[in-house]
This record gives sequence, C-alpha cells and structure tokens, in this order.
Amino acid sequence: MGDVILTMKGIDKSFPGVHALDHVDLEVRKGEVHALMGENGAGKSTLMKVLTGIYSKDSGTITYEGREVEFTNPREAQDAGIVIVHQELNMMGHLTVAQNIFIGREIMKGKLIDDKKMNEEAGKLFEQLGIDIDPKETMSRLTVGKQQMCEIAKAISHEAKVIIFDEPSAALTEAEIEELFKIIRDLRDKQLGIVYISHRMDEIKVITDRVTVMRDGGYVGTLITKDSTKDDIINMMVGRVIYEDPKTESAVPEDAPVVLKVEHLNAGRMVRDVSFELRKGEILGFSGLMGAGRTETARALFGADPKESGDVYVNGTKVEIKTPQDAVKCGIGYLSEDRKRYGIVVAKTIAENSTMASLENFMKGAFIDKKKENQAAQEYVDALKTKTPGVDQLVVNLSGGNQQKVVIAKWLVRNCDILIFDEPTRGIDVGAKSEIYQLMNELVAQGKSIIMISSEMTEILRMSDRIVVMCEGRKTGELDIAEATQERIMHAATLRD
Amino acid sequence: MEKIKQNAIVKKIGFNRVVLMCVLILLYLLFALIAPMVKENANFVSFARILSLLKYAYFMGFLSLGVTFVIATGGIDFSIGPVMFCGALISGYLLTSKGWPLILCLVLCILVGTAFGVLNGVLVSYAGLPSFITSMASMMLAKGIGSVFTKTQSVNWPQADEPGGWFRNLIGVKIGATEIPTGLVLLLLASVICAVILNKTMAGRYILCIGSNREAVRLSGVNTKRWETLAYIICGTLAGMAAIFYVAKNTTVLPGLGDTFNNEAIAGCVMGGTSMTGGVASIGGTLIGVLIIALLQEGIMAMGFQINYQYIITGLIVLTVVYADLRSRNKRN
Repeated sequence: MGDVILTMKGIDKSFPGVHALDHVDLEVRKGEVHALMGENGAGKSTLMKVLTGIYSKDSGTITYEGREVEFTNPREAQDAGIVIVHQELNMMGHLTVAQNIFIGREIMKGKLIDDKKMNEEAGKLFEQLGIDIDPKETMSRLTVGKQQMCEIAKAISHEAKVIIFDEPSAALTEAEIEELFKIIRDLRDKQLGIVYISHRMDEIKVITDRVTVMRDGGYVGTLITKDSTKDDIINMMVGRVIYEDPKTESAVPEDAPVVLKVEHLNAGRMVRDVSFELRKGEILGFSGLMGAGRTETARALFGADPKESGDVYVNGTKVEIKTPQDAVKCGIGYLSEDRKRYGIVVAKTIAENSTMASLENFMKGAFIDKKKENQAAQEYVDALKTKTPGVDQLVVNLSGGNQQKVVIAKWLVRNCDILIFDEPTRGIDVGAKSEIYQLMNELVAQGKSIIMISSEMTEILRMSDRIVVMCEGRKTGELDIAEATQERIMHAATLRD
Repeated sequence: MEKIKQNAIVKKIGFNRVVLMCVLILLYLLFALIAPMVKENANFVSFARILSLLKYAYFMGFLSLGVTFVIATGGIDFSIGPVMFCGALISGYLLTSKGWPLILCLVLCILVGTAFGVLNGVLVSYAGLPSFITSMASMMLAKGIGSVFTKTQSVNWPQADEPGGWFRNLIGVKIGATEIPTGLVLLLLASVICAVILNKTMAGRYILCIGSNREAVRLSGVNTKRWETLAYIICGTLAGMAAIFYVAKNTTVLPGLGDTFNNEAIAGCVMGGTSMTGGVASIGGTLIGVLIIALLQEGIMAMGFQINYQYIITGLIVLTVVYADLRSRNKRN
C-alpha cells in the first residue's frame, strides 16, 4: 500500500425523512483494494454518489491527492480521475464496444468521428488489460461479464486514479469473476486506489486489503482484511438487534390448502420452466442473485409480461392469466420492486391510489362515491399506520415506507388473497421496515398468502416459511425454513448450468 | 401572495385559474385601451365585439374541451381541426347537393368526429402507435376525405333566413334588434358535462391516472387501453360537435383546411393548465384559455392587423405557459 490518495471525513447527508449518511469516514491508499461493506441500505452507494458529485454533501470534507475537493457532477470527478464502474451497466447496446468506450469524447478526424482510430485505441486498451474483446463488436451481443470488462476498460481509459467497483460480481459467472480479479490486481499493482463494494464475504477475503464497514448510514470501522475473520466483519455489519432472529420453523400447518400452483412457467430467457406451490397463510420467499429471473417470474405470473407456456391454478382451478386484469380477478395482487414506476401514481392522492384496483366498488351510479372512497382509504391509513395528515394528501409527499403502505392498501381494498411482494423493503428505512414485516405477518395470520421476492438474505430467513431459490431463470432449489441456511441458499443461487 | 393562495374560494377554483381569469380581463382592458389608439374609430368595447368574439370561442371551445381529455392521458390529437372540417364538408355536401334532411346532417357531423376518435383511439391504445404520428396521419386522412367527398368544392351551409337555416339559432337567437348568445349557454353546458366526466366518473379518474403513470394503472388490473381509447372518442365527438358551431358561424367551408384550429385549440388547453405530459387537466382552465385565444383574435382584428400577428402572440404565450408549468413542476420535485 502506498500513500493516501483519497480521504472522506465526517460525510453527512440527509434526505427528507432519512438520515442517509451520518458522519462517515473513508480512506483509500494508492495500490490498495479497499472493500466498502454493509447491508442493503447501509449507505454505501450514497457515499459513493456524494464522492462523485451526484449528491451534494451536507457537511464533511473530501480530500483527494492532497487538496480538498467538491465535485458538482460525475463528469468533474471523472476528469479528476475518480470513476465508478456501476452495478447496472450504462451501455448503449446498439453501439459498438469502441463507440461505447469513447462515448462523450469521440476521437475526431476534422468534423467526422474517426471510428477506425477508436477501434485501434480500444484494442490497445484491451490488450493492456489482457481482455479478449473485439472493439468492433456490437455491445448487446456480449455477455454481461464482457460488458462489465468494457465498463472497466472505459473507466481506465479516463486515466483513472481511483476506481469504484459497485457490486461488480453480482451478475458474473465464477470464471468471469476470476478474470475480473486478475484485472483488479493488475490495477492495484499500477498503484491505483480501488474501492470495492460487495456483499460476498468470500470475495472480500480474496481480493481486498482493507475493509470499511457501514451500518444504517453510519461509519462502523475499518479493518485490515488479512488480520480479521469473516465473523469480525459480519458482526460489524449486523451488530444490532433490530432484526429478529431467523424463523426456525414454518408457521403453516401441514394440511394448509394450496392456493396457487404454477407449473412449467416459461417466459423469455429469464423464466425457464418454473414450478412452485403457494399454500394458504404461507410466506414463500424467492431468493437469488441479481438477474436470477424472480421479478420476471412474478410479472409473467401476474400477466404483466407475456408468457410462452405454463399452467396456473388458483384454489385448484386452472386459470388463464393474460393481463394484470385477469390476475386481479383471480385475487392476485402484485407489489412491484419499483414503486414509483409500477406501484403508485405519485401525482394522485392516497384515496385515489387506494381505490385504483377496485374503483367499481366505489361508484354511485355513474359517479365516484368520494365519501365512501375516503372512508375506505382512511380505514387502511389507520390499519397500516400510514403517516399522513389526511387521505387527500398526494402520494408524492410520503416517505418510501408510507408509499409502500399505500400500495399495500390498494390490494387490501381490493381484498386480494394472494399478494406478491417484490422487494417489499427496498429503499425503506429501518423503522418502517419492521412495520412492513409485522404487517406481512399479520396478513398471513388472517389467511392471506404471500410470495416475497427479496435480495436480502436476512429478510428471506426472517420472513419465509419456505424458500424458492432461482438462478438464471431456473428454479435451482426449494428449502423449508427449518433446513435453510445462508450457505445453502447461496449454493443454490449460484447453481449454474 | 400566500394569503391569496390559501383563500377558500381561490383554492376551490384553483390559483392558476384565478391568474388566468385576471389575464383575460387585463387583456380585454388592454385591447379596449390600445385599439382606438392604433386604428381610428376602432371601437373595441361593444356588445357586437363580444358576440363576435364568443362565436369564435364556441367551436374553438368544443375542440379544446375534447383535446383536453386526450392531453390528460399524455397523448396529443393534431387531427381535430381537419376532422371538424371533414364533418362539416361531408354533411354540408349531403345537405346541399343531395338534399338530406338537416337534422340528419347535423348528427352526421358529430358521427364523423366520433369515427375519427375511434380510429385514433384504437390505433394509439391497441396498436400502440405514437399519438403524435397517428393524429398527424388522421389529420391528412380527414383533409383528403373531406375534399374527395365534395369533389374539392366548397360547401355553403344555408343562411339564417333560408329554409333549413334554423340551426344558426344554436349560437345566437335574435329577439328584436338584440342577439341572445345561446351558444354560450351550450358551451357552458358542455364544459360542465366535461368537468363532471373528468372529475367525478371512473372514465375521468382513469384517464387522468393513465396520464400520470400508465404502467401503475395497468398493473392495478385496469383496462387502460379501453379508457385511453375513450379519451380519443370523446375528443373526436366534441370535434364533430364543433363542426356544427363552425358552420353556424361561417357559411362557407373550404376543403383541405382546418389545421390552424388544432394548434389554437391545443394552445387554449395548455394555457388553461392542462399538462402536456398528462395527468393534470382543468376544464375550467381550458374554457378560459379558449376565451383568451378568441379575445386575441378579435383584438388583433379590431386593430386592423393581420391574423398572423395573432399566431405570433399565441405562440409566445404557449411557450411562456409551458415553460412556467415545467418550472413549477421541477420545483415541486
């Protein structure tokens, strides 16, 4: 490890209703790989967004190469030599690899773009990194792993001094991860500072020199990787009692009837021959890595996306679900992972959102019975403890947790018996999270059945009665909660063909 | 300022509408003041002027009310002007050349509009075509069909004193020397009905919600295609009704025209506070917006300027309003 290249000290950042970063410190040296760890929502990405100028900080200092800096946009950070390799790839699929790498700073020949020269330069870059990719290939034809390599090549071509990897391995195969690590080691030897964000403990031990742990927006501590054990790190990450212990046994009686049966569901590349059963009063967890096809399965089941084949039985009767309308008629409600885009109409009121799926029950002749609508909305505001001054409040003014409650209210007003919760606590702060969990437990106690898709292992282990694990569009495991462990789930989640 | 915004009556009507109303009144006073200075003997403050202004506002109002529904869904309909002309041409031709009964021809005006509404709605909602392109295409269709039907001849609807001219009473009834603006009553009635549909019925609720977040509405199990189509049908039907008010004001209908009216109708709608991105719409605002457009047209004419000046001013106003709308939206987020 060499000199310190980057220091973030006492970084503080609040959003309305959420204290996202609470005096966080981070120090990166030249020639080190520095892991940034913490559970989902710990504030890792927010910290990196503050660093690269996507968010402005409320207080604290950033010192880079010996002087204090404050970037106002990612471009400035990039020009200074700090680049992020994002978790979601920001590539233009229809352009070539070289065109993607030089986007925004095309090599010109007079007034025209010099594609030949860009291909040459990209080729050199790949050679330097030891990557075998044709610069003239169309980006969308590469595998996710190769696309990631292109991201890295692009980052390096900016003459980066600090590179931030945001969960780079999430969608990669073992072989691709090996290749990635080789590149990262090369970069380290070239005295770059590397920040490596990941959830995968094994990788942290293999690739990083130091680990900084964050929890609930706060700084917990920094360890030297080779001097610490896995348990040390986990203890620092969890280190709180807000999460209850995992469930130890299923709360569903042996003879509970099957309310939903899905057989051989196929829909595109991401849903391949998926079969499962959901029983009355059960929370069925869907676990897997990013891109495992869980959301796609839910959307195909719900009729949001077309499916190719597969049978669906609700309460033992075969049903045809072609559109969300059909699904809702069968008593299925879907709570999307992306609330703002698929769950709520933010510019409308709580009352209007609550009755969205069941407006026909709130009609008086040709007109909407506003009084009845408000009553129903108020009933669920009270029942779900939604924090709002009134049901005529626009949903845009609510916090993430309360918006989620409005979506739940929408399906409860409709009286759906089968609820699909897709990442129910994503973007929700810790307090509201517990409330959502409690609510889900109450719902199943009332005899509703829940499919819960979640990327958080603790959430899966805490809430589920049974767990379906998916990998690359296939169901690769099904575990009763009594036999489920983090390791067994992870094993199934990486069970590739 | 905040105090005014919090006032109960202002809240009920909507602050934007109050501002717009003030703009309308100020504009009127401005024309009343300037017109005599620019052109001698130009008497702007007269009942006749107001009647003339209103007659322009009638058909424009129906167009604008209709397109408000489409814009509320986040779409656009550029075909309404030519559709209005198409209806007026077809039924006018059948009336004058084929001797069809008047009442049938009036109904036909509306049906032609409805037919184009169905066409646009189905193509946009079910076939998934962009509304911009679809309505441009149906605009050309409407122009072409109207012209072909009349063999590129203009159509002259009967005068008030001719047989079959009674329909002109729809916009004004003469009692002695004074004319009662019956058209205003009909326009207000239509506005009230539109406002009720938009704000109190399932159709209006879903039309607005589709404009705000179509996917969320669809995933709530709502048949979004059906409701979106309905918005276009309402729009087309009102364009058909506009045709009746157009021929009641103007005798001659020329083939191959009508597109300028789209722009003015959309301008009136946008001025009234209906957001071009959908989800927010105000019938009251549209009505005032249309009156402003009509006032501009009347004022410019009174001063003896070309109609082109009206286009320039309307264009500038639309840009200002849309920019202000965008700014206030960004501020809120």
